[in-house]
Amino acid sequence: MSTRMTSGARLARLLAVIPWVAAQDGPLLTEVAERFDYPYERLTADLQEVVMFVGVYPFSPDQLIEVVVDDGRVWISYADWFSKPLKLTPDQALAMMAAGQSMLDIVGESEDNTTDGPLLRGLTKLGAAVGASAAAPVEVRLGRAADDVLATLRAAVSEHQVVEMEYYVYSRDEFTRRVVEPHRFFANAGQWYISSYCRLAEADRVFRVDRIRSVDPTGETFVHEGESGPLPPIYDPAADDPRVVLEIDDTLEWVLQQFPHDEATRRDEGGWTITMAVSATPWLERLMVQLGPHARIVGGDAEPIDVAAVAGRVLARYRQEARGG
Amino acid sequence: MSKLERLLNLIAALLNADRPLTTEQLRERIEGYPEAPESYRRAFERDKEALRSMGIPIRTIEVPGTDPPKTGYRILREEYAGTDPQLAPDELAALHVAANLVRLEGVDGDEAVLRLGGRAADESEPSLAALPTDPNLGPLFTAATEHRTVALRYGGADRTFDPWRVSFLRGHWYVTGWDHLRSEQRLYRVDRIDGGVEVGGVTEHERPADVATTPTRLAPWELGVKAPVTARVWIEADQSPWARHNLGPEAVVAEHDDGSIEVEFEVRNPDGFRAMVLTFLDGAEVLGPPELRDEVISWLEALAEPAS
Repeated sequence: MSTRMTSGARLARLLAVIPWVAAQDGPLLTEVAERFDYPYERLTADLQEVVMFVGVYPFSPDQLIEVVVDDGRVWISYADWFSKPLKLTPDQALAMMAAGQSMLDIVGESEDNTTDGPLLRGLTKLGAAVGASAAAPVEVRLGRAADDVLATLRAAVSEHQVVEMEYYVYSRDEFTRRVVEPHRFFANAGQWYISSYCRLAEADRVFRVDRIRSVDPTGETFVHEGESGPLPPIYDPAADDPRVVLEIDDTLEWVLQQFPHDEATRRDEGGWTITMAVSATPWLERLMVQLGPHARIVGGDAEPIDVAAVAGRVLARYRQEARGG
Repeated sequence: MSKLERLLNLIAALLNADRPLTTEQLRERIEGYPEAPESYRRAFERDKEALRSMGIPIRTIEVPGTDPPKTGYRILREEYAGTDPQLAPDELAALHVAANLVRLEGVDGDEAVLRLGGRAADESEPSLAALPTDPNLGPLFTAATEHRTVALRYGGADRTFDPWRVSFLRGHWYVTGWDHLRSEQRLYRVDRIDGGVEVGGVTEHERPADVATTPTRLAPWELGVKAPVTARVWIEADQSPWARHNLGPEAVVAEHDDGSIEVEFEVRNPDGFRAMVLTFLDGAEVLGPPELRDEVISWLEALAEPAS
């Protein structure tokens, strides 16, 4: 491990290390290094060459921190000014509590979510420390999906189980059965996703969990080194997907936020001209029925669609004889 | 004298002070600063900003009894340290695992873990989510925990607002609380707040004991200003699982032999409702109330049979 660290990173660590060590009875230096992610050589040097000389005016021995290193252990005393760690910033407190609340949401009604579980106990203490009363000042719902589907997929990811699932392809409005090797489970923008190798597509695919109708382990396992690093993109319009050019009225400005698009330009007479990728024709048909009279297709190379025919098909349902039951 | 030692001594001096220290006093008490007054002033300013950016609350206070008034600095211990949550090892480990799996963008979660007592868990699992951040989130959260009133601008109006809770739902941050302007509970989307949030004093307005009143569903058809009506919708078998998860099992009021279902839910925004129902195309049908059904029919008629 490198011993190079910025003085800012060292300062942030020392402000946490000093009170922690002072409250213990001679912890091992190796444990301190591990716990505070502080390279061992750097830590021993900083404790003996820096912290030992920290104190207040006039820096007489009784006004200095005492550091004793002996036999691989360290003792710190007279560190009165640093007897407690720096408190969390509001952003840090929010990040910790949001993370904890997310996990409570994921584990759902399991043993981790009881008052005896360490996560809930820790969250309650943390909330009390930042001054929150009984009600949690933060709540997080990362996504929505059936508990059994989520549970099966999470187990499949961690145990490398191949699963067979029935998946609704929204853009083509059809159900597919596919065997997949789920690599990573993640949430983005209020939805759960699973990135995986799909044996049907013979390629890596990201699936939205709330569109999985059923999922079952096949009993087979797969080999994969696991996916880490940044979260995968959820929609990646292919460069060669056909494009559609729409004119939309101002009332549909939300379309700009909701859909990835190549470009959007303001029209002089109001509204927007927007160019976006069309992954499949049914997707565009559905979009146009939703947007209704406030949007018009004015260009692009996407397959022409007949909005009137699609609307007529839906209307037919309303005009058939009254549904029984 | 290293910069690290100088900064630690500066913090110790400011924490140790029972009255504000002037820059002259600090120069006498801390080694390692340049001699020339201008160089010293610049070095001290840099140090002060570096410490403040870490969240160290250095107060700038007028020194009592000075005339002309002199500026002094100190750190109050209660502002520096806050309350120790006294986490047990398993609690810290559980929070650490959570912080690794779900991150708030732009916030160093590792730094927070250090302040709580250091690394306590293995970091091998890949992260689950990165929550978007917003400059107003921290202030709203602080106000919610400390029961403070904030000033903010939303929907074209300046408001006095008591935040109760921030919520990440459907991919966005929201804040629930009491709007003094309207004298009612309100829910605002944080990224639609116009400009900054200014945190004020402690509020006197009572907060409900249980703020579980935050709507857990913030669907487009639920966020509206119209009086709520209960819509009844038929949904075909193929789409019924989606509807069940998204509307909640309690919304299902009838199940047919062919697997199709009927759901009932509250609608406050007819436009959002129509857009949702139409994503199913002919896989869904609005059964009632008549005004919602008729509205969808007229919409479809205008598309299917455009006036020529």
